[in-house]
Amino acid sequence: MIRYGKLVHMEVRRFRYFLLGMMGLTLVVQVAALIWKTTGEVHRLRAGGAPVPFFGFDKLTFTWAVFNTQAMFALPILVSAAGLALYVFLIWYRDWLGRGTFAYRLLMLPTARRNLYLAKLTAILLFVFSLLAFQLLALPIEQGIFNLIVPAEMRMDSYFTDIIQANQAFSLLLPLSGAQFLYQYGLGVICILVAFTAVLLERSFRFWGIGYAVIYATACIAAFVVPLLTLGFDRDDAYLYPKEIFGILTAVIMVVAAASIGLGFRLLSRKITV
Amino acid sequence: MIEVENVRKRYRRRWVLDGLSFRAEKGRITCLIGLNGAGKSTALKAMMGLTPYQEGSIRLEGMALDKRSYERISFVPDHLPMPSAMKLGEGLQFMADFYASWNASRARELMHFFDLNEGERVGNLSKGTAAKYNLVLGLAPDTDYVLMDEPLSGIDVFSRETVASVFSSEWLEGRGVLLTTHEIAEMEHLIDHAVLLKGGRTVRSFDCERVRDEEGKSVLDLMREVLLA
Repeated sequence: MIRYGKLVHMEVRRFRYFLLGMMGLTLVVQVAALIWKTTGEVHRLRAGGAPVPFFGFDKLTFTWAVFNTQAMFALPILVSAAGLALYVFLIWYRDWLGRGTFAYRLLMLPTARRNLYLAKLTAILLFVFSLLAFQLLALPIEQGIFNLIVPAEMRMDSYFTDIIQANQAFSLLLPLSGAQFLYQYGLGVICILVAFTAVLLERSFRFWGIGYAVIYATACIAAFVVPLLTLGFDRDDAYLYPKEIFGILTAVIMVVAAASIGLGFRLLSRKITV
Repeated sequence: MIEVENVRKRYRRRWVLDGLSFRAEKGRITCLIGLNGAGKSTALKAMMGLTPYQEGSIRLEGMALDKRSYERISFVPDHLPMPSAMKLGEGLQFMADFYASWNASRARELMHFFDLNEGERVGNLSKGTAAKYNLVLGLAPDTDYVLMDEPLSGIDVFSRETVASVFSSEWLEGRGVLLTTHEIAEMEHLIDHAVLLKGGRTVRSFDCERVRDEEGKSVLDLMREVLLA
């Protein structure tokens, strides 16, 4: 357990500059977009321009600013998401590639190899939730900047839920329903597990492993998508109730997760090669 | 004792280890000798669980190898297996964090002996300096056995002398050493036991001293006889 914690610490340390870079990029781009959009509108209104009503209100709100900077607010989030998606693979390959094959050292640690797998998984989840938490922290800061730019007589307060719903990226990443949050991020975790197993298949069987990895990933996707399409989740005349279909899909997801973890652990302890 | 018995490993439709058997004893320096592709490095990797094998067994003091074995056997691969961005001091701390057998005072002695700077980054080391640091990581733990893959490969003559001097030092006293090398001439006087490999199998295993005394042959002579036959 202690060694697992140390492995997680090591993985976080190795990615810390990238993570801080993503956070910095998010803050800089969003603040720049906010300042550019808000100062422009304040100048326009001061020059006698007519206010553009936003959901029936003439005054400027932070929600208005977020709504009108859709692309620039979403861009750093998408870049970070793409970076993390790539890192799901790189977190393994960086140990094999380069001048020193660190995988030698990691595989020779006197600890169960599943700890390597779990530490990498934990690290990825920590990065995802750190970025989410950072975004949640950045919003009040950005709101403060908005309040500094817009005179009190020109603005009115926003509700947090309105701010989240004002940007498509926010509403996707920060679902307001707890169940939706769990389902969405649960599915994300399973995608990471499938990707990890695919990487381990490739690392274990090399050339043939690429084929096995593609087959495995395709089978996992099919296991989830086929019932989704065939059981009529979105049809009124479906043979099963939506709750039953949801139950079947949840069971399928659990099987995929268990198979991925089981196969991943086995490959790491028995088949992996450096 | 580490016992390797009838180990067979298949890679790309070829048996790279084909019934390999030998023993490495504590307190002795055993050398795996063979031409390129004979299976020397693969044998060491298989012993450390870094590559799977299909048949046979590898045992440490009669027991199958498991995660605890890494506290008793250390491995010095033919390259330095540490991230380029890591400082040497951080590498030592990493080892101390994970290995109960890590001996910090011995690590300091070795760092001093090899004149290594803890503030240096792994990626900035020359090949010779990387080989020395690799030895620090392999020799500092209180392990019973040390496996080394080509410890003298690709390093300059003075670094070789320094590295070679380690074999007759107190740092290896009482420990079992298993190494592979192509530099037989330089290492011959240090080796107790030689295992000649050809096509992934042991073709001859002998005590160097005995062969010198009884047959009047050097390891190199026997290599020519056996491996080039």
